[in-house]
Amino acid sequence: MSDRSSKLLRIGGASLAAIGLVLVLLSPVIGEPISPGSLWWIEPVAYVGAGVFFLGAIASFVSIQLASRREKHGADDRSWSQVTQDYFDTFAHDMGRPLRRILGKQREVRALLNETGETTPRMVTELLDEIEQQAPNFRLMIENVRVLVDLEDEYAQPAVEPVDAAAVILNIADRYLPIARERGLDLVWWCEPGEFGLVYTDASALDHVVTNLVDNATKFADGQIEIRLTRNDAHFLVRVWDDGPGIAESHLVHVFDRGWTPELSARREKQSSGLGLFIASSLSERCGGDLLVESRQSTGDEANDHHTAFTLSLPLDNRPAAAK
Amino acid sequence: MTSKGVGNGQKILVVDDEHMSDLMRSVLRRLESDGFRPIVVAPEGPHVSGDDYEAQALFAMEDERPAAVLLDVRFGEYDTDRFKGLSILKKIVDRDSSMPVLMFTQYTHGPYRDTAVMASLNVSSSVDFIDKLASPEEVVLRLRRLIGSAPETIKIGSLFEIDAQNAAVYAIDNGRRDLIREIQGMKLEILNELAAAFFRSEGELVPFSRLERFSEGEDSRASLRVRIRELKVALGNAVSREFGATELIINVRNRGYRLVQPVD
Ligand SMILES: Nc1ncnc2c1ncn2[C@@H]1O[C@H](COP(=O)(O)OP(=O)(O)OP(=O)(O)O)[C@@H](O)[C@H]1O
Ligand SMILES: [Mg+2]
Repeated sequence: MSDRSSKLLRIGGASLAAIGLVLVLLSPVIGEPISPGSLWWIEPVAYVGAGVFFLGAIASFVSIQLASRREKHGADDRSWSQVTQDYFDTFAHDMGRPLRRILGKQREVRALLNETGETTPRMVTELLDEIEQQAPNFRLMIENVRVLVDLEDEYAQPAVEPVDAAAVILNIADRYLPIARERGLDLVWWCEPGEFGLVYTDASALDHVVTNLVDNATKFADGQIEIRLTRNDAHFLVRVWDDGPGIAESHLVHVFDRGWTPELSARREKQSSGLGLFIASSLSERCGGDLLVESRQSTGDEANDHHTAFTLSLPLDNRPAAAK
Repeated sequence: MTSKGVGNGQKILVVDDEHMSDLMRSVLRRLESDGFRPIVVAPEGPHVSGDDYEAQALFAMEDERPAAVLLDVRFGEYDTDRFKGLSILKKIVDRDSSMPVLMFTQYTHGPYRDTAVMASLNVSSSVDFIDKLASPEEVVLRLRRLIGSAPETIKIGSLFEIDAQNAAVYAIDNGRRDLIREIQGMKLEILNELAAAFFRSEGELVPFSRLERFSEGEDSRASLRVRIRELKVALGNAVSREFGATELIINVRNRGYRLVQPVD
């Protein structure tokens, strides 16, 4: 039951009860006694009044019960979120320890190789790059799991705050530029208008959705990735475009499904978890927006402009009406 | 690509108990190669605690006057020091609310902690979070933007220097700066716009919509194209070079223009 209908029930119930009470009290004055002498016994207005009173009282009682149960549930949820958050802090810290060490060693090796002044064999650099690239993978994976748990909580609300959307996109571009460069991809981003200003949304959700899209784009692009931030009257839009092979039309309906990857349709073993887009689209909806995909598949023809574009659309101001 | 010298010798105070780790060393190395001067807080003694870091960090803030602070959230493995970084952060911001602080968090950036920390600080303080697994390049980029102020002059590779304040573009030749006189007015404005985006982030392009005010006539795209070509020729002449379509200023997929570092 929604908040509104339970409030309606409470107010309605209370007023019914009040009317009923008034009727009962006034019955000696306004009622027509059917048999004089036994005033209360056969007074119809009193009967009706009493009925109305009980009906109203029951309605308010039920609605109050519901509300208190919800409140209790809400409190449990908040601590549940807090518990999972704490759990993830520890989890990410401890799970990340070996990775931090490996990553540190890898960078140290790179620096040492640089210091020798000799050119490092290509194969070695490629191996080092491979290790370096596990860092963003790990970051995204941990965050994906955290959000997945969070999405289970149907009462959780997005944390709406003033957000510099362009700065969020810029940070993501910074994170993926070195990766794109290593893979020989050209990543560009821009926003229109130039002074984009603040939007009211959940910053960490925005960051997370776009990160997933850019992460996919760097996996599939042939040479180009574009991230564009624009706005219209009510929404701001982030489009992530890549010139990769595209997605088959028969697959487009599945890309947002939980755990779907193309291997699943081909009945082969999955190469990745297939969670990114499910999480991204669920988060977008929770934040009052949506995530759309548009793609053209490669035909092998040179001139064919195959590509994939995901467009995230979120309200410019997602604060609850009262806070605006 | 490294943009050497963007740091301009600015001091960065590094407060992290793991400053000796390989991971932090790679960050320190990158800071140095980008022209920053990292100052590492390293208290000495048999039992160094989070408090020692705090005391020395606050002292170094007064003593060294850094341009920004790089601060870890978690100090040591003891539960008491688990969020020591946050209390150090509060003291730093209390003393100097305009001090840019980049916090290392090795956790996910969940909404609860960030929001809770930010809410406890002054609105105007410039504090940002970054994952400990971030690449050194990302750390430096973020730090640079947090410090914020674009330098008075922006260098384009080793060939040009743009001085937006004094509305001048210089060609650099063996350390000598020669004013390029032809680049003025709208052409200079276009170049400034491109250079600002170039400085902010390597991947940023300036969309046509933002450049079209520097063009005129019916077909503003065409007039812009002409201006850009003239600009490229003027820059090329100054260093006796010819810049091709994929050099210096490039049209990106007909969406806008972008400055790219010229190869020497
Ligand atoms: N930009 C893209 N170009 C082509 N195919 C894509 C693109 N983005 C997603 N896909 C397809 O959609 C599938 C699902 O993507 P999703 O991000 O949900 O999962 P994943 O990337 O496979 O795994 P995860 O993100 O959980 O690591 C991918 O396996 C891929 O086949
Ligand atoms: Mg993915």
